[in-house]
Amino acid sequence: MSIEYIVSEGIAGIKRAKLASFTSIFSLFIAVFLLGVLARVSYNAYEVAQALRQSVDVEVFLNDLSEQETDNLENRLEEEELVENVTYISKDSAAAVFKEEFGTEGASLADLEFLPASFRVKMVEGAEIEKVDSLVVQFAEYEGVEEVSFNQKLLEIIETRFRTFSLVGGLIGGLILLASVILVFNTIRLTIYAKRSLIKAMKLVGATNSFIRRPFVMEGVIQGVIAGLLALLVMVISFQYILPEYIPQVGILDWPFGKWYYLSGAMIFLAVLMGFWGSQWAARKFIRKTSISE
Amino acid sequence: MSRHSVIELNNITVSFEHRVVLDDVTFNLENGDFVYLIGQTGAGKSSFLRLIYRDLLPTTGSVRVADMEVTAMAEKNVPLLRRRLGIVFQDFQLLPDRTIYENVAFAMKVTGEKKGYIKQRVMEVLGMVGLSHRRRNMPEDLSGGEQQRVVIARALANEPRILLADEPTGNLDPEASASVMQLLEKINNRGMSVLMVTHDYDTVRDYPHRTMRLQDGKIIEVNPGELR
Repeated sequence: MSIEYIVSEGIAGIKRAKLASFTSIFSLFIAVFLLGVLARVSYNAYEVAQALRQSVDVEVFLNDLSEQETDNLENRLEEEELVENVTYISKDSAAAVFKEEFGTEGASLADLEFLPASFRVKMVEGAEIEKVDSLVVQFAEYEGVEEVSFNQKLLEIIETRFRTFSLVGGLIGGLILLASVILVFNTIRLTIYAKRSLIKAMKLVGATNSFIRRPFVMEGVIQGVIAGLLALLVMVISFQYILPEYIPQVGILDWPFGKWYYLSGAMIFLAVLMGFWGSQWAARKFIRKTSISE
Repeated sequence: MSRHSVIELNNITVSFEHRVVLDDVTFNLENGDFVYLIGQTGAGKSSFLRLIYRDLLPTTGSVRVADMEVTAMAEKNVPLLRRRLGIVFQDFQLLPDRTIYENVAFAMKVTGEKKGYIKQRVMEVLGMVGLSHRRRNMPEDLSGGEQQRVVIARALANEPRILLADEPTGNLDPEASASVMQLLEKINNRGMSVLMVTHDYDTVRDYPHRTMRLQDGKIIEVNPGELR
């Protein structure tokens, strides 16, 4: 069987049953668009959570240490896998920051000598809070360390919220996917059922099951491509034009990884995959069940 | 199986749940024969045909058609069997959204014939049934008799060895029935074996051939002239 036959029959199948094809395309479009929106919103939420995580640094306050002792401690901190980088803040720098933030006018830096020198430790991207927490305990036991602080509460809130969001998002995504698959598969099944006379006639003249099935599968793939492109178009229009214009408080929700083609490719791929699987499953099942004498 | 048999049913029994439809039936159709199969509604005529084109497997017994062991055949070989058969039903089963030409041509497309040969053969079989001039029409433009002739043309497209006709005149007026019967006679005269299921005794009397009756699960030969 030539590919030309499969493609031409696939296209002809869509043209011959316009309403059924429209229903399949529409259900695929809805499924892929909703999943695309969820993916885009989730990615942006993840980015926000990451940015917040990054903004929480660990402060390691020091006793009065010699230059050599300070260097040794800095090296020790830097050796930790979770540590991205370490910045030394001298007593003078700490006093300058204090003055700038609290405005102790007239006071000399010497008056602020009670402020200890410290290391600002930046953790690597995505470092888990439990691990940071145990690292903080570990740092506190190092010689020359007076105290270690970090905003655990804020990190905990970020982590908890992000986990809840991921769980709920994943659950909603899973439900959308499940509902879409059921909807799409059933729509395709009905589309194929509407063509039972064609299936019967083909079986009657000795067509093999795979010969009958392939144009239906091609039809599903073509419907998937159309639905995927449509979902992409609607996403571009809504996220680039409608949302910024009418609901500006949502802000700009970027494409995942800053590039349009990852999500676009995934959406079209998903639509084609669902069209392919749906039609393959429905056609296989229906062709096998169809008796030519019914 | 004898040398000239194209259909052979040996000791066939078909039961649906507790009802025996065919009871130890043995039947032969020889090459070039025309045989009628008659019987009341529910006598098992359609089951008999379904056994031949492997839409139904017998409870016991064996079926051999066009040199193929039907009962022992793997599912994937069923299409090959059906290509050796031309099948005509009472309801025409034409594709309403394709022209007459396309309806006949698609029977050949499924068997992978070349485009040039398909064109030549479709025109040939449409000529045989007297409908070449209607090739661009849609099925709905044709009368019942003409549609049934298109179905016969489609059945003949792949040059089958046997024509199975299940009540081919059942939905037709007397005039259209006559044209279909004349066509079947013509096809049989060219050497093709025909097995026709009917309950139209007038047709059996007007075009007499060997006639078998299915009754109470058994098959018996009857004299067409004595049918009332």
